[in-house]
Amino acid sequence: MPDSHRPVHNRLAVLRAERGLSRKQLADKLGINYQTIGYIERGDYNPSLELALTIAELFRLPVDAIFSLRPMTPLSEEIFREPPAGTR
Amino acid sequence: MNTTITSEVEYLPRSRRRLLVAVALAGYPVAVAALAGLKHTSLNRWLILALFLVLLLPTLIALFVGYRYARGRIDGRRARLDERDLALRQQAYALSHRVLAATLIAATAITEIYLTSGNTLRLDANTFLPAAMWVIVYLPALPSLMLAWIETDQPADA
Repeated sequence: MPDSHRPVHNRLAVLRAERGLSRKQLADKLGINYQTIGYIERGDYNPSLELALTIAELFRLPVDAIFSLRPMTPLSEEIFREPPAGTR
Repeated sequence: MNTTITSEVEYLPRSRRRLLVAVALAGYPVAVAALAGLKHTSLNRWLILALFLVLLLPTLIALFVGYRYARGRIDGRRARLDERDLALRQQAYALSHRVLAATLIAATAITEIYLTSGNTLRLDANTFLPAAMWVIVYLPALPSLMLAWIETDQPADA
Protein backbone atom coordinates (compact mmCIF):
# COMPACT_ATOMS: atom_id res chain seq x y z
CA MET A 1 0.00 0.00 0.00
CA PRO A 2 1.21 3.54 -0.59
CA ASP A 3 3.60 4.74 2.12
CA SER A 4 2.30 8.30 1.84
CA HIS A 5 -1.20 7.56 3.17
CA ARG A 6 -2.38 9.27 6.32
CA PRO A 7 -2.65 6.64 9.04
CA VAL A 8 -6.18 5.66 9.95
CA HIS A 9 -6.41 4.34 13.49
CA ASN A 10 -8.99 1.72 14.34
CA ARG A 11 -10.48 -0.43 17.08
CA LEU A 12 -11.12 -3.42 14.89
CA ALA A 13 -8.97 -5.85 16.89
CA VAL A 14 -10.64 -4.86 20.17
CA LEU A 15 -14.15 -5.11 18.75
CA ARG A 16 -13.39 -8.41 17.09
CA ALA A 17 -11.98 -9.85 20.32
CA GLU A 18 -14.95 -8.50 22.28
CA ARG A 19 -17.37 -10.32 19.97
CA GLY A 20 -15.25 -13.48 19.94
CA LEU A 21 -14.69 -13.37 16.20
CA SER A 22 -11.59 -14.69 14.50
CA ARG A 23 -10.14 -12.79 11.55
CA LYS A 24 -11.41 -15.52 9.26
CA GLN A 25 -14.96 -15.31 10.65
CA LEU A 26 -15.05 -11.53 10.35
CA ALA A 27 -13.56 -11.67 6.86
CA ASP A 28 -16.20 -14.19 5.77
CA LYS A 29 -18.97 -11.93 7.05
CA LEU A 30 -17.47 -9.00 5.14
CA GLY A 31 -16.68 -10.96 1.99
CA ILE A 32 -12.97 -10.16 2.05
CA ASN A 33 -9.78 -12.17 2.59
CA TYR A 34 -8.78 -12.78 6.21
CA GLN A 35 -5.32 -11.28 5.66
CA THR A 36 -6.95 -7.96 4.84
CA ILE A 37 -8.44 -7.82 8.35
CA GLY A 38 -4.93 -8.23 9.79
CA TYR A 39 -3.55 -5.50 7.56
CA ILE A 40 -6.38 -3.12 8.55
CA GLU A 41 -5.89 -3.88 12.27
CA ARG A 42 -2.16 -3.22 11.95
CA GLY A 43 -2.82 0.05 10.11
CA ASP A 44 -1.07 -1.17 6.96
CA TYR A 45 -4.17 -0.84 4.85
CA ASN A 46 -6.85 1.84 4.90
CA PRO A 47 -10.20 0.32 3.98
CA SER A 48 -12.39 1.94 1.36
CA LEU A 49 -15.32 4.01 2.54
CA GLU A 50 -17.65 1.20 1.48
CA LEU A 51 -15.75 -1.39 3.54
CA ALA A 52 -15.49 0.94 6.55
CA LEU A 53 -19.25 1.52 6.45
CA THR A 54 -19.91 -2.21 6.07
CA ILE A 55 -17.72 -2.91 9.12
CA ALA A 56 -19.55 -0.22 11.10
CA GLU A 57 -22.89 -1.71 10.08
CA LEU A 58 -21.76 -5.18 11.10
CA PHE A 59 -20.70 -4.01 14.57
CA ARG A 60 -23.75 -1.71 14.79
CA LEU A 61 -21.55 1.23 15.69
CA PRO A 62 -20.98 4.63 14.11
CA VAL A 63 -18.04 4.52 11.72
CA ASP A 64 -16.09 7.06 13.78
CA ALA A 65 -16.28 4.75 16.80
CA ILE A 66 -14.21 2.24 14.83
CA PHE A 67 -12.03 4.39 12.57
CA SER A 68 -10.36 7.70 13.33
CA LEU A 69 -7.62 9.93 11.97
CA ARG A 70 -6.49 10.50 15.56
CA PRO A 71 -5.08 7.75 17.81
CA MET A 72 -7.88 5.90 19.57
CA THR A 73 -8.32 6.14 23.31
CA PRO A 74 -9.05 2.87 25.11
CA LEU A 75 -12.77 2.02 25.03
CA SER A 76 -12.90 1.64 28.83
CA GLU A 77 -11.58 5.18 29.22
CA GLU A 78 -14.31 6.51 26.95
CA ILE A 79 -17.06 4.58 28.74
CA PHE A 80 -16.07 5.72 32.21
CA ARG A 81 -15.05 9.25 31.25
CA GLU A 82 -16.60 11.88 33.51
CA PRO A 83 -19.16 13.89 31.51
CA PRO A 84 -18.31 17.61 31.21
CA ALA A 85 -19.51 19.70 34.14
CA GLY A 86 -23.11 20.87 33.84
CA THR A 87 -24.20 18.10 31.50
CA ARG A 88 -25.54 15.73 34.22
CA MET B 1 3.25 -31.03 0.65
CA ASN B 2 1.85 -28.56 -1.86
CA THR B 3 -0.06 -26.74 0.88
CA THR B 4 3.05 -26.62 3.07
CA ILE B 5 5.11 -24.99 0.30
CA THR B 6 2.32 -22.47 -0.41
CA SER B 7 1.99 -21.66 3.29
CA GLU B 8 5.74 -21.20 3.73
CA VAL B 9 5.95 -19.01 0.64
CA GLU B 10 2.92 -17.00 1.78
CA TYR B 11 4.59 -16.09 5.08
CA LEU B 12 8.04 -15.29 3.69
CA PRO B 13 9.27 -12.08 5.32
CA ARG B 14 9.60 -9.10 3.00
CA SER B 15 13.40 -8.92 3.37
CA ARG B 16 13.72 -12.49 2.08
CA ARG B 17 11.18 -11.88 -0.65
CA ARG B 18 13.10 -8.82 -1.83
CA LEU B 19 16.30 -10.86 -1.91
CA LEU B 20 14.56 -13.48 -4.06
CA VAL B 21 13.25 -10.78 -6.41
CA ALA B 22 16.78 -9.37 -6.75
CA VAL B 23 18.09 -12.88 -7.52
CA ALA B 24 15.30 -13.43 -10.04
CA LEU B 25 16.06 -10.14 -11.81
CA ALA B 26 19.86 -10.36 -11.74
CA GLY B 27 20.29 -14.11 -12.18
CA TYR B 28 19.47 -14.41 -15.86
CA PRO B 29 21.66 -11.51 -17.09
CA VAL B 30 24.54 -12.83 -14.93
CA ALA B 31 24.12 -16.34 -16.35
CA VAL B 32 24.01 -15.01 -19.94
CA ALA B 33 27.09 -12.82 -19.35
CA ALA B 34 28.93 -15.80 -17.83
CA LEU B 35 27.94 -17.96 -20.80
CA ALA B 36 29.21 -15.31 -23.24
CA GLY B 37 32.50 -15.13 -21.36
CA LEU B 38 32.95 -18.90 -21.05
CA LYS B 39 32.31 -19.43 -24.76
CA HIS B 40 35.68 -17.88 -25.52
CA THR B 41 37.55 -20.24 -23.16
CA SER B 42 38.85 -23.71 -23.87
CA LEU B 43 36.41 -25.28 -21.40
CA ASN B 44 34.39 -28.29 -22.50
CA ARG B 45 31.04 -27.32 -24.05
CA TRP B 46 29.09 -29.58 -21.71
CA LEU B 47 30.84 -28.10 -18.69
CA ILE B 48 29.93 -24.61 -19.92
CA LEU B 49 26.31 -25.70 -20.33
CA ALA B 50 26.32 -27.25 -16.84
CA LEU B 51 27.76 -24.04 -15.34
CA PHE B 52 25.15 -21.98 -17.19
CA LEU B 53 22.34 -24.16 -15.85
CA VAL B 54 23.74 -23.98 -12.31
CA LEU B 55 23.85 -20.19 -12.58
CA LEU B 56 20.31 -20.18 -13.96
CA LEU B 57 18.89 -22.40 -11.21
CA PRO B 58 18.58 -19.68 -8.50
CA THR B 59 16.73 -17.49 -11.02
CA LEU B 60 14.29 -20.26 -11.84
CA ILE B 61 13.70 -21.00 -8.14
CA ALA B 62 13.22 -17.29 -7.39
CA LEU B 63 10.79 -16.92 -10.31
CA PHE B 64 8.84 -19.94 -9.08
CA VAL B 65 8.66 -18.58 -5.53
CA GLY B 66 7.57 -15.16 -6.81
CA TYR B 67 4.83 -16.77 -8.87
CA ARG B 68 3.65 -18.89 -5.92
CA TYR B 69 3.72 -15.88 -3.63
CA ALA B 70 1.30 -13.98 -5.88
CA ARG B 71 -1.22 -16.83 -5.30
CA GLY B 72 -3.27 -16.06 -8.39
CA ARG B 73 -3.66 -12.40 -7.47
CA ILE B 74 -1.92 -11.18 -10.62
CA ASP B 75 -3.38 -13.46 -13.26
CA GLY B 76 -6.81 -13.45 -11.61
CA ARG B 77 -6.81 -17.21 -10.92
CA ARG B 78 -7.86 -16.59 -7.34
CA ALA B 79 -11.62 -16.72 -7.28
CA ARG B 80 -12.14 -13.76 -4.95
CA LEU B 81 -9.90 -10.73 -5.01
CA ASP B 82 -10.89 -8.20 -2.38
CA GLU B 83 -10.28 -4.45 -2.56
CA ARG B 84 -6.80 -4.76 -1.02
CA ASP B 85 -5.78 -7.47 -3.50
CA LEU B 86 -7.00 -5.32 -6.39
CA ALA B 87 -5.13 -2.25 -5.08
CA LEU B 88 -1.96 -4.32 -4.65
CA ARG B 89 -2.30 -5.76 -8.14
CA GLN B 90 -2.65 -2.27 -9.58
CA GLN B 91 0.49 -1.15 -7.72
CA ALA B 92 2.40 -4.24 -8.85
CA TYR B 93 1.51 -3.55 -12.49
CA ALA B 94 2.49 0.12 -12.15
CA LEU B 95 5.85 -0.80 -10.59
CA SER B 96 6.43 -3.46 -13.28
CA HIS B 97 5.88 -0.81 -15.93
CA ARG B 98 8.41 1.48 -14.23
CA VAL B 99 11.00 -1.31 -13.91
CA LEU B 100 10.50 -2.34 -17.54
CA ALA B 101 10.78 1.26 -18.75
CA ALA B 102 13.94 1.83 -16.66
CA THR B 103 15.50 -1.40 -17.99
CA LEU B 104 14.76 -0.51 -21.61
CA ILE B 105 16.11 3.03 -21.15
CA ALA B 106 19.27 1.67 -19.46
CA ALA B 107 19.77 -0.95 -22.19
CA THR B 108 19.33 1.67 -24.92
CA ALA B 109 21.73 4.07 -23.16
CA ILE B 110 24.40 1.37 -22.70
CA THR B 111 24.08 0.32 -26.36
CA GLU B 112 24.32 3.95 -27.45
CA ILE B 113 27.46 4.55 -25.34
CA TYR B 114 28.96 1.30 -26.68
CA LEU B 115 28.29 2.29 -30.29
CA THR B 116 29.48 5.89 -29.94
CA SER B 117 32.74 4.62 -28.46
CA GLY B 118 33.70 3.28 -31.87
CA ASN B 119 32.47 -0.27 -31.34
CA THR B 120 30.19 -2.13 -33.66
CA LEU B 121 27.27 -4.29 -32.66
CA ARG B 122 26.40 -7.36 -34.68
CA LEU B 123 22.80 -8.38 -34.35
CA ASP B 124 22.72 -12.14 -34.65
CA ALA B 125 21.17 -15.04 -32.77
CA ASN B 126 23.83 -14.76 -30.02
CA THR B 127 22.69 -11.24 -29.11
CA PHE B 128 19.07 -11.39 -30.13
CA LEU B 129 18.10 -14.64 -28.37
CA PRO B 130 19.18 -13.65 -24.82
CA ALA B 131 17.32 -10.34 -25.20
CA ALA B 132 14.23 -12.09 -26.54
CA MET B 133 14.43 -14.66 -23.74
CA TRP B 134 14.66 -11.84 -21.19
CA VAL B 135 11.42 -10.36 -22.52
CA ILE B 136 9.71 -13.78 -22.68
CA VAL B 137 10.75 -14.72 -19.13
CA TYR B 138 10.42 -11.40 -17.33
CA LEU B 139 7.46 -9.74 -19.01
CA PRO B 140 4.91 -12.18 -17.57
CA ALA B 141 6.84 -12.67 -14.30
CA LEU B 142 7.46 -9.01 -13.43
CA PRO B 143 4.04 -8.22 -11.87
CA SER B 144 4.27 -11.25 -9.54
CA LEU B 145 7.82 -10.31 -8.58
CA MET B 146 6.81 -6.71 -7.93
CA LEU B 147 3.89 -7.89 -5.78
CA ALA B 148 6.35 -9.92 -3.72
CA TRP B 149 8.55 -6.83 -3.49
CA ILE B 150 5.91 -4.33 -2.31
CA GLU B 151 3.64 -6.31 -0.01
CA THR B 152 4.34 -5.82 3.68
CA ASP B 153 4.75 -8.82 5.98
CA GLN B 154 1.58 -10.70 6.76
CA PRO B 155 0.13 -10.08 10.21
CA ALA B 156 0.46 -13.03 12.56
CA ASP B 157 -2.69 -15.14 12.70
CA ALA B 158 -5.07 -14.27 15.51
